[in-house]
Amino acid sequence: MKRFALALTLLATPLAAQVDTPDAVIGDVLNGHILPRFEALADSTQVLANAALDDCNPTSESLRRAYGDAFDAWVMASHLRFGPTEVGDRAFALAFWPDSRGATPRALGTLLADKDPIAATAADYAQVSIAARGFYAMEFLLYDDTLMTADDTAYHCQLVQTISGDIAATAQNILDDWTPDYAAAMQSPSSDGIYRSNEEVLQEMFKSLSTGLEFTSDTRLGRPLGTFDKPRPTRAEAYRSGRSSAHVMLSLQSLQDLAARLAGDNADLADALDASFVRAEAQLSDLNDPTFAGVADPASRFLVEVVQQSVDGIRTIVRDELGPTLGVAAGFNALDGD
Amino acid sequence: MKHKYLTSTALLLTFATPAFAVERSEVLDTYMNIAAANYADSLTTAQALQTAVNAFVADPSAEALQAAKNAWLAARVPYQQTEVYRFGNAIVDDWEGKVNAWPLDEGLIDYVDNSYGGPSDENEFAALNVIANPTFTLSGQEIDATEITPEFLSDTLHEADGVEANVATGYHAIEFLLWGQDLNGHGTGAGNRSWTDYAAGDDCTNNNCDRRADYLVAATDLLVSDLEYMAAQWAEGGEARTTLTDNTDAGLAAILTGMGSLSYGEQAGERMRLGLMLNDPEEEHSCFADNTHNDHYYDGLGVQNVYQGAYIRVDGSLVSGPSLSDLVAETDAALDAEMQGKLSTTMMSLGRIKTAAEAGFAYDQMLERGNAAGEALVMGGVNGLIDQTKSIERVVTTLGLDQIAFEGSDSLDDPDAVFQ
Repeated sequence: MKRFALALTLLATPLAAQVDTPDAVIGDVLNGHILPRFEALADSTQVLANAALDDCNPTSESLRRAYGDAFDAWVMASHLRFGPTEVGDRAFALAFWPDSRGATPRALGTLLADKDPIAATAADYAQVSIAARGFYAMEFLLYDDTLMTADDTAYHCQLVQTISGDIAATAQNILDDWTPDYAAAMQSPSSDGIYRSNEEVLQEMFKSLSTGLEFTSDTRLGRPLGTFDKPRPTRAEAYRSGRSSAHVMLSLQSLQDLAARLAGDNADLADALDASFVRAEAQLSDLNDPTFAGVADPASRFLVEVVQQSVDGIRTIVRDELGPTLGVAAGFNALDGD
Repeated sequence: MKHKYLTSTALLLTFATPAFAVERSEVLDTYMNIAAANYADSLTTAQALQTAVNAFVADPSAEALQAAKNAWLAARVPYQQTEVYRFGNAIVDDWEGKVNAWPLDEGLIDYVDNSYGGPSDENEFAALNVIANPTFTLSGQEIDATEITPEFLSDTLHEADGVEANVATGYHAIEFLLWGQDLNGHGTGAGNRSWTDYAAGDDCTNNNCDRRADYLVAATDLLVSDLEYMAAQWAEGGEARTTLTDNTDAGLAAILTGMGSLSYGEQAGERMRLGLMLNDPEEEHSCFADNTHNDHYYDGLGVQNVYQGAYIRVDGSLVSGPSLSDLVAETDAALDAEMQGKLSTTMMSLGRIKTAAEAGFAYDQMLERGNAAGEALVMGGVNGLIDQTKSIERVVTTLGLDQIAFEGSDSLDDPDAVFQ
């Protein structure tokens, strides 16, 4: 990707006074947004692990439902990439995507062919390549025409159960680090702490909003869009399980919640942000294209582009208005680079 | 010595003692002078590579191939240090894909082992093998590749079909042509291409030796001309300089953008951590030559260079001047000490990877599943890079550059907020 621009906004003056104290905003984002999401992720992934133990058949309705619920919970937390999710390989082990070199099907294919005994326990499996772990690997085992079947169904079953168990363990580890330690570090910055000031905490929260929007625009929508001459519908996220559009919707709804909390008592800004999210979500739901297959057709492609433009419109408000209001800027994120 | 002030004193004196002040424009001058020297060094070492490649194809031998490989390895030393100029300077970022694109689907270029596989979902030209195929069809068009020229490589083959992995030019394409695929998996050893892949007549192995030589020469010529262009942009009056000096604060922001984006998203994330978590030796930056430990080391050194305002040229001479470090120390000596400390920690960690690799513990062994020592080495570098990024953000704030957009995108560009 060769997109680059050095942007420097001229005015750093707050557009309106922040009425809420930083403490109140931080507490609200922590208790109303972050912690509930990681609790839901831990709970729903445990349900998934149990469902896989009950019935590991890839077409099992209860398994697929539990998988869908847990994946939903991840997508709603997927922008919160700092602190506990970044310890070791946790977030990557839950969600390795995009996979531009096809590492996931290759790694799963090798495990299945070798009947690699590493899949015997979730604890051992934590050593395996992230390409064969997490929700995106599970999608191949449950929905890919080739990988949902195996000569050795017992091994396939074990793999489904072990990956589910590994996902649940990772989600629990993330939650355990959040409560109480990491939450406390954000609530009470100190000169020798992870965060030295409320501004650094707010910057982290703001960064997760801006990075989440960037990922949804550039990757969740941008990858299948490709270019007009070369649309790439098979690069849509989780298209095998028909979840591509749903992921965009879930991420927008989750980011909308975060944006509202960060805007706090600033009613004008909160309204502007809310209206921009509502518009993007309405356009997406009108699209009615679960896998973005329509990117290959000029007429329906245009509608996907409209959604992307609306998400970029939200990004502009976030960068130019919310950031200065909070007195923070985006900072560096994991998507920098190419 | 401004470094010796206590923080509180420094804060007071910032306003009181302009005579001591480091000029922001001088810091920017140092940054540009280092770039000029660093790209000039990249050019001269690439010209040395060109000489070695020409000698090799004129009279192929094992010794001449080794000489070309040595020249390639030497050329990487200055080039990798320039990577800190990439993010932050659009003129570099728009250009660098020609010279340092990675990872590549090498089957586009030449023969590969059966285990490589054929065309993939992502790239239908992953196994094109242009050296063996003088004509082929690309996006419905018949392509004539009977002559492998620099123009053919840059204008037609590079990023063919809009796929970034179709890397036809630059250091890594040349690396593949010199070393060949590394088929040792997680074992020791680099690619082991025989010099006879370039031999004349019956001695030629793997066919099409003349076309392979044409490709190697064309790709090397192109590398030299691309570096000539970039060296000129950083010379006195060059466009890279005039863009930066249009607005001094935007220029300082560019320095920090380059440091932070390379440290975190690119090096710690894309190049180091991801390869480790995938346990994939193909995720090595220089996977054919097994030179990845040096890639990482010199990338890290480039970040340290621009903060300290000092660069050691390939002839051993020092380019230096007023630095970001001086500027930060003036405002917040404790933050400068923190930044310096973290850069040193990172260089120590990257140095450990380098020394272990040079002693025989290859980078691809470090990536192997369950290799705890390798994981600890690589994660040491990753953690250092991530940690230093936090301090870079603090420097941005301290210098009053916080409304910088660290890396914007086309869709976010809005003309009245952008300095070009």
